[in-house]
Amino acid sequence: MNQFVTLVVGGLFLGSIYSLVALGFVTVFKATQVINFAQGSVLLLGAYVIARAHDSIGFWPAVVLGVLAAAVAAVLIDAVFIRRVRDADLGTLAILTLGIDILLLTELTRRIGTDVLNIGAPWGSDVVEALGIRIPASRVIAGGVAMVLVAGFWAAFKFTDWGIAMRSAAEDGETASLMGIRLNRVAAAAWALAGALAAIGGLFLTSFPAAGVTGGVGLVALAAIPAVVLGGFDSPAGAVVGGLIIGVVSVLTAGYQQELSFLGRGLGGVAPYVVMLLVLLVRPSGLFGTREITRV
Amino acid sequence: MFRLATAIGVVVVLAALPLYLESFWLQTALFAMAAMVAAIGLSLLVGIAGQLSLAHAFFVAIGAYGYSYLAERIAPLLALVAAVLLAGLAGALFSPISGRVRGIYLGLASLGLVFLGQHILQNATGITGGYSGIAVPPFSLFGFSFSSTSPDSLVILGVPFGALERLWYLGVVLVAVAIWYGRNLVRSRPGRALATLRDSEVAAEVMGVDVVRYKAAAFCVSSMYAGLGGVLMALAFGRIVPESFGLLLSIDFLVMIVIGGAGSVGGAAAGALFVTALPLVLNHYSGSLPLLAEPGTGGVGAAEFSRFVYGAAIVAVLLFARDGLAGLARRIRKEKIA
Amino acid sequence: MRLIASVAVVLALAVAACGKGGAEEETGGGSETAIKTGPGATADTITLGYLPDLSGVFAPNGKSQMEGANLYWDAKNKAGGICGRQIEVKVQDTGYDPQKAVTAYRQLSTDVIGLGLVLGSSIVSALLPSVEQDGMFLNFAGWTSDILPAENVAIAGTTYDIEAINAVDFLMKEHGVKAGDTVGHLYFEGDYGENALKGSKFAADKHQLKIAEQKITPADQDMTGQVSALKKAGVKAILFSAAPPQAASLAGVAASQKLDVPIVANGPGWTPQLLTTPAADALIANYYVVSSMAPLTVQSEGVQKFLSEYETAHPDGTPSSNGSLYAYAGAQIADAALTKACENKDLTRKGVLDALHSLNALDTGGTVAGPLDFTDPSKPPGSQVYIAKVSKEAPGGLEAIGEPANATDAEGYSF
Repeated sequence: MNQFVTLVVGGLFLGSIYSLVALGFVTVFKATQVINFAQGSVLLLGAYVIARAHDSIGFWPAVVLGVLAAAVAAVLIDAVFIRRVRDADLGTLAILTLGIDILLLTELTRRIGTDVLNIGAPWGSDVVEALGIRIPASRVIAGGVAMVLVAGFWAAFKFTDWGIAMRSAAEDGETASLMGIRLNRVAAAAWALAGALAAIGGLFLTSFPAAGVTGGVGLVALAAIPAVVLGGFDSPAGAVVGGLIIGVVSVLTAGYQQELSFLGRGLGGVAPYVVMLLVLLVRPSGLFGTREITRV
Repeated sequence: MFRLATAIGVVVVLAALPLYLESFWLQTALFAMAAMVAAIGLSLLVGIAGQLSLAHAFFVAIGAYGYSYLAERIAPLLALVAAVLLAGLAGALFSPISGRVRGIYLGLASLGLVFLGQHILQNATGITGGYSGIAVPPFSLFGFSFSSTSPDSLVILGVPFGALERLWYLGVVLVAVAIWYGRNLVRSRPGRALATLRDSEVAAEVMGVDVVRYKAAAFCVSSMYAGLGGVLMALAFGRIVPESFGLLLSIDFLVMIVIGGAGSVGGAAAGALFVTALPLVLNHYSGSLPLLAEPGTGGVGAAEFSRFVYGAAIVAVLLFARDGLAGLARRIRKEKIA
Repeated sequence: MRLIASVAVVLALAVAACGKGGAEEETGGGSETAIKTGPGATADTITLGYLPDLSGVFAPNGKSQMEGANLYWDAKNKAGGICGRQIEVKVQDTGYDPQKAVTAYRQLSTDVIGLGLVLGSSIVSALLPSVEQDGMFLNFAGWTSDILPAENVAIAGTTYDIEAINAVDFLMKEHGVKAGDTVGHLYFEGDYGENALKGSKFAADKHQLKIAEQKITPADQDMTGQVSALKKAGVKAILFSAAPPQAASLAGVAASQKLDVPIVANGPGWTPQLLTTPAADALIANYYVVSSMAPLTVQSEGVQKFLSEYETAHPDGTPSSNGSLYAYAGAQIADAALTKACENKDLTRKGVLDALHSLNALDTGGTVAGPLDFTDPSKPPGSQVYIAKVSKEAPGGLEAIGEPANATDAEGYSF
């Protein structure tokens, strides 16, 4: 029993990190109707900057630098590439971000190679013990940060001018712009936020119990995609729930690999996608996504 | 008259090329031809039928592994046909999902298929050999083997014809058939029905197009193309491993049709040639190209450079020439006539 | 008329111009020495092909390997080369991509006498049919017995399964693991991890141990679930056959979950950079490495010669056991085969291959553990391993424990 609880709790904390990344996806989608496959490389960029900078300027300044770098990169992607083809269809835009992702990833993995770069977090490998369960401190902090950010988002979406602007731009861009909402500004803000979220997610994904920033981190961000899909592309709540589900699924399948070995080994990688497929079959637009209803 | 002459000229050149090309070029060409066949299939699915699919690598794998497994047990020609049909069947089985799930969600659901495929390829060691892969039995037709044996020493015009040279002809024939069939399909009634489907499912339904059947047919045909491409790819490799059929391959195919122009058969072939041959050719010339570092030194080498060009090409095409090379060709032709 | 004319012209051109022709085998031009030569050997040069990964996932390894190879051949050429011929190294990057590797091979295959280094078993698998057809030898930068038997392949030492058997032996002798205990094995999907698993299962059978398997992929960077499962299984030790990122995560999570057990890894499971990760203390406490390649602290002639040569050539570089030292050892093996072939007056590809298979006790001066025996292509040439402990002060981060040895268990193992 204890193992199950430890795994679920661990999975929830891991899932909270995925939620952050997924939230970034959803923010961009809601604001600009773009599925941002470049999120993975932006995540790696943020983590990479922190890993390289913390030795010379200290950890917290490095984090600020990393978050800024990722946010700026994201805004640049929007300003330089996406803005030109705003009217294109979803598939085209998605593939465009894929191309950008490839460019950025190539450069970053070239620089990282087979290195294992320490992210320099001050909480190192500390462990927190509560109710008989031991959880790495970094995960607890990640969970806390995620909760704060998600709550902040929710409040911002609901109550601030920017949140309202974003929601109206998402609902009906033309009317929104007629009402004086600067669509480009809303978009830029959304992308910057997504970049920042990605960097923070990257920081926690490369902290203990992971080894650090490696070439494989770009792939880890790919794991957030099932989270976004099963939650529903345009639902922030879906992103959070999706992230948590994926986190728990990955940890449970890894932990129970022996018992599940009849399904083959190495399930941890494929389980999130299977779960995603199953959810889509039942709810084709994800758990909380808006449904398109056409009946003939 | 002129067109017939060019057609004959093209045939003669294609037939004569193995006499001149070194094995590097023949090998590269074989990989490119396999990609072309598969890419045409994806172009039909995405461009004509409007179904976004990231699962193409999965169907290619079925073709490749299906052929390799069956050709040990039955005649290679039968194995090839069976592998293609198997891939088509898989595609038809997947298509009901496209009835339930739409648009980008379909694309991402199909992503799941690639990962599932990888899992199966790695774990079903009895059939797939697991991570160490399986050897690909050479193709043979009526006793003539497309390898360096039977006949053991075939020399034409002073040039020894080994596996690569012989496979070249097989590849050319298959690509030609793929292009011809694809072009006909696009222009036919079913092709137009698929195009209507892409533009508006509702309208198609209203006009009496059986949406479910046509979607199944689209997936089936596209997967058969993928399967055939897989067989050719397996023959070009000689031994296949699961990693070759992962997410990167699926993305490669999408990129090929984007660059070539979705919906265009010729474009898909051109895109496939570009994406497959670029890294191989750059690697080949990396010693002599200025600015590129030699393999073994630091700096940007041929491989990174080709990844950059790859990414940049996607971006450039989508920003400036959205209908790809095919669209460009169309525009140039229009200007010539005008 | 025009049509027929143009067709006729094209056909005539095709026939008239000669094709590329076939590759010929020359028989030696030397006058005093009647040495047979083939592709890759001329009167004054012997050409070796190198197919490392210089741009893909193992690029730093590849670069390090080329450093080691060039180090060896530069020195050898200065000392007169082999058979009075200078050794030329032709490098092609495979990018760890089978498609690229196959085409890269085509580029150099006609000019080389053999392949001095090929990295990656998926690459070797893809190339083996052509290499066997072209009849040349191949130095495999990997240690899996899955490709055996292979006439053309030379491995620098013994294989992962033997390493795992030795690891179990070490754990039983030095760390109190006894019959009835459970040992965890965290391994990569693929021929590296699964080959090691074969060995550990064999050893477990022999000693009534249970193996708790955990298969992972390179994308898995967080070992929380795996450690939890191993802890539940009550493991007394963990075998590790994966890569450095997973090693750091494993050691760190195990320490945090109070799973204080020794971890024994195969060679590829270590890089000195791990000492900069948060898991460094856990690694120093519990991590060991079993490998055919010598840790850099070994005081043997070969290793020390390599180190001093390396330091002269690359004062700012970092030597590595699996990178530069491996390629150096590979060059030693190629050197021995070529020299023997020269003595046999046969510098054809077959001659070199035969010479390789006649070496039954090659001493690399300790760069590879133990003497190497290439006479049986169905067995790895090496049978001994080094065991090392993680140490902050040692160059390369590993300190060898004792002399290279082999567990007696391994003698009953069939490949």
